[in-house]
Amino acid sequence: MLEFLLRRLAAAIVMLLVVGTIIFSLLVIVPGDPAELLLSTGGGSATQEAIQNLRNEMGLDKPILAQYFGFLANTAQFDFGTSIVDGSSIADNIALRLPRTLEIIAVGAILALLLAIPAGTLAGLRGGGRFDVIASAVNALLTSIPGFVVGTLFIYFFAQVLGVLPAGGYVAFAADPAQHLQMLILPATTVALHLATIIFRMTRASVLEMRGHDWVRTATAKGLRRSLVVRHHILRNALGPVITVAGLQLGILLGSTVLIEFVYNWPGLSGMLVTAVEQRDYPTVRAIILTVAAIFIGINLMIDILYSLLDPRVRLQ
Amino acid sequence: MTAIPVRATRKTRLLPGFPRCMILPTLLLAALILIPFAAPLITGADPVQIAVRDRLAPPSFAHWLGQDEFGRDRLARVLYGGQVSLTVAFVATTLACIVGTLFGLIGAYFRGPFEFLTTRLSDVVLCFPPILLALLVVTLFGPGAGTLVAVLSVLYFPSFARIAFSEALRVSSLDFVEASRALGTPSHRIVLGTILPNIAGPVSVQYSLTAAAAITIESGLSFLGLGVVPPAPSWGQMIRGARQFMSQDPLGILIPCVALTLTIYAINFFCDRLRDTLDPKGALGGGKDETSVPVAAGMVPADETADVVASVRDLRLDLMRPGGPVNVIEDVSLTLRANQCTALVGESGSGKSLTSLALMGLLPGAVRQARGALRLRRKSGEMVDLGALNAKELEGLRGNDVAMIFQEPMTSLNPIHKVGAQMVEAILSHRAMSPSDARARAISLLELVGINEPARRFDGYPHEMSGGMRQRVMIAMALTCEPRLLIADEPTTALDVTIQAEIIELLQRLRTEYANGLSLLFISHNLGIVAKIADRVAVMYSGQVVEEGPAAQVLNDPHHPYTVALLESMPSSHEDLHSARGDRLRAISGTPPLLDARPSGCTFHNRCPIAVSSCADARPPLFVSADGDRQVRCFRAPEAGLEAAR
Ligand code: SF4
Repeated sequence: MLEFLLRRLAAAIVMLLVVGTIIFSLLVIVPGDPAELLLSTGGGSATQEAIQNLRNEMGLDKPILAQYFGFLANTAQFDFGTSIVDGSSIADNIALRLPRTLEIIAVGAILALLLAIPAGTLAGLRGGGRFDVIASAVNALLTSIPGFVVGTLFIYFFAQVLGVLPAGGYVAFAADPAQHLQMLILPATTVALHLATIIFRMTRASVLEMRGHDWVRTATAKGLRRSLVVRHHILRNALGPVITVAGLQLGILLGSTVLIEFVYNWPGLSGMLVTAVEQRDYPTVRAIILTVAAIFIGINLMIDILYSLLDPRVRLQ
Repeated sequence: MTAIPVRATRKTRLLPGFPRCMILPTLLLAALILIPFAAPLITGADPVQIAVRDRLAPPSFAHWLGQDEFGRDRLARVLYGGQVSLTVAFVATTLACIVGTLFGLIGAYFRGPFEFLTTRLSDVVLCFPPILLALLVVTLFGPGAGTLVAVLSVLYFPSFARIAFSEALRVSSLDFVEASRALGTPSHRIVLGTILPNIAGPVSVQYSLTAAAAITIESGLSFLGLGVVPPAPSWGQMIRGARQFMSQDPLGILIPCVALTLTIYAINFFCDRLRDTLDPKGALGGGKDETSVPVAAGMVPADETADVVASVRDLRLDLMRPGGPVNVIEDVSLTLRANQCTALVGESGSGKSLTSLALMGLLPGAVRQARGALRLRRKSGEMVDLGALNAKELEGLRGNDVAMIFQEPMTSLNPIHKVGAQMVEAILSHRAMSPSDARARAISLLELVGINEPARRFDGYPHEMSGGMRQRVMIAMALTCEPRLLIADEPTTALDVTIQAEIIELLQRLRTEYANGLSLLFISHNLGIVAKIADRVAVMYSGQVVEEGPAAQVLNDPHHPYTVALLESMPSSHEDLHSARGDRLRAISGTPPLLDARPSGCTFHNRCPIAVSSCADARPPLFVSADGDRQVRCFRAPEAGLEAAR
């Protein structure tokens, strides 16, 4: 088990390194001078002095290898440098906003699991039955609506037409818990809906597949109660693939969360990211993306470990 | 046998014979893709012409969908916006598909470093939320349709590479590809002419998935104001623009939202159907947990003597098909007595397994008991009709009064639970016992079936054991509640020769030493093993028992031509006898009929060497020997001295 953990940890670190390297090399393979590129606006180009300033600031004037190791060393210490727009510390800014993003993702993910796993199990156990047909059709429709569209429609419906929930915004939990939770409902539900469609589909397929295995017949032949067969020999086995796929889908989820936060004016990473992209603040964008990729890799490491607890065979591979 | 049909079906599915369930999704998708490009035919309005005085005007004759916050014609904007979104998405997807597929094919054909590259690349790209990576590039190059196409195609080509790679690997190991390689066909011809058409299915599924994802990302970025540059219209931008005015003008957000959703839905719908068409298995597989309910006996008299452990009377099973029920088991009767081992013999597909599953109340959901009676003696001595029991009572019977071991020990145990836990679970569901007592009992049973270090194995997982050991565990598990009847469905077929012999020995020993009076129903196609273990033999062919009697008599002096053929195709040497896994009759030509296509007349008549013309007309009845101990279902049985029953 320890060996398995160490191997997975090493793989995750290698992955982080690769991700960092790719993000770094993007600046190198860009045709032309990145500083000039970043300062160019449409047709006009920046003054020579401004470009030189930016080059200094981003360290572009050093040799590439020095830049590379500097970048890795700084990143490893969570030092992402300063914004090229206002000179504020990027790391501080991320530390302020990241918890807010994680909050809607965590709440959304819990909601999604609570909704989709029972529904997917039920649909899978009665594959082809009425519940399955209806749930699968609804799911196919929901899969097709992008998160920001759901968000926009939710705002229209719940805030404009019904007027029961705020259209967006943010209040710190410490300042006003009730208000905070109210404002959390819509963004978290939107995130949840998106994730739930994926988990539902996976759970259903996985349950259907597990039901076809010989050991399920063995369990029935042993005379186990039906509920026990379902829980121990279908669901327990089905969950492994479900959480793995859910983990891989998190990348897409983290991306669509950016849009959902934007829709609801939720001041998480996305607002910072969108402003930074608009202002062509490359170091900030790069730092945010590195953070998100690191979170993604971290969550998948956790899922790997969880899976190995669910299925002992995984530890051997 | 499988290779050529695979090729043929894939091709016909993709080209001429257009499957019916694909018609609707294809039409829907085609319409949604073509309509935006027919914009000039639908409306003469200019999508970017501003008319500030008419801002947010409701639908009118000149502007069917009204005007937006700048007074621009909304219909024109939706249509032209669709053009932009679709073009970006499909150009990017097509680029990604071509490059990725090429990568995958090269990786699969040349292996080595190419293989590493194609498989690892997609792992890395998966770490980046696609929309964030797109944002990173937009930061560098500024927004615009060109940037989007470039980003999206780079983002998506690794997933095509991976799919093309794994599919190509699968296809190139098929017989016909290896055959053409052996014939010296140049590699580019093999790849393009043979492999490519065969991986077209999965790749096209990926294509539609990717196109849908690309549209989502494009509209998302445009929604953020970082995608397509205004004033060029796009759906994401329309939603962005209409957001501020949604209370006055809900139509403004609804129209682009609907257009976007509908388009993505059409692509997903197409993709799902395509997947189901290419791989019909995946659509709905019947689970092995699904059981059909046994039917009460009705007219069949219950007249079993006290030594009868189980009886099957006039059993008739139908397979439920969309076109109506198909009869698969016809008039099967068996009587299993205490202390006896009855062997059910026949080729695969003869209905042996169905008959035995029926006795467990474990028939697959698609099979219905149309007639007949299934009766078991409980340990209390009471004879019960399976059809008269409810689901709960059946659960109490299974594993307790009758137990079963299966053919595949490798898959019959749940891989994620400890062996001991799976045994304890069985004990506790029938016995009120403390967990520690159940554990002790399970360990003693493991020891009984000859497992070394039973206490250690108890805490081990199935994958740590060999096939033979797992079969021993299965036997131990079946014995946990001291059943009166043990059904063993080909328990040795999947095992090595020496292990086979050991398992048979174990079963023999258990019958005499452990469970006194244990009756065994032993299902096999291997007559060598049957000769060793069975007291009585019932030979099944195409859903009927064709011969039944004492093992020594049936095996030494068979009366039915099918039994004769079975015995003649038995390998003679001792070695062959045990390795005879093959399920084919060498002595007679032809193959057994499929269970759902049983011939009329004597079901054996088209393979029977002694058939007469009348054999094809009517089903032969059972002929019984003078002492009543043997039964044969053959018109020519009277020649051996048997008489028609009843
Ligand atoms: S009934 Fe006729 S065809 Fe059938 S086994 Fe006997 S001889 Fe052969």
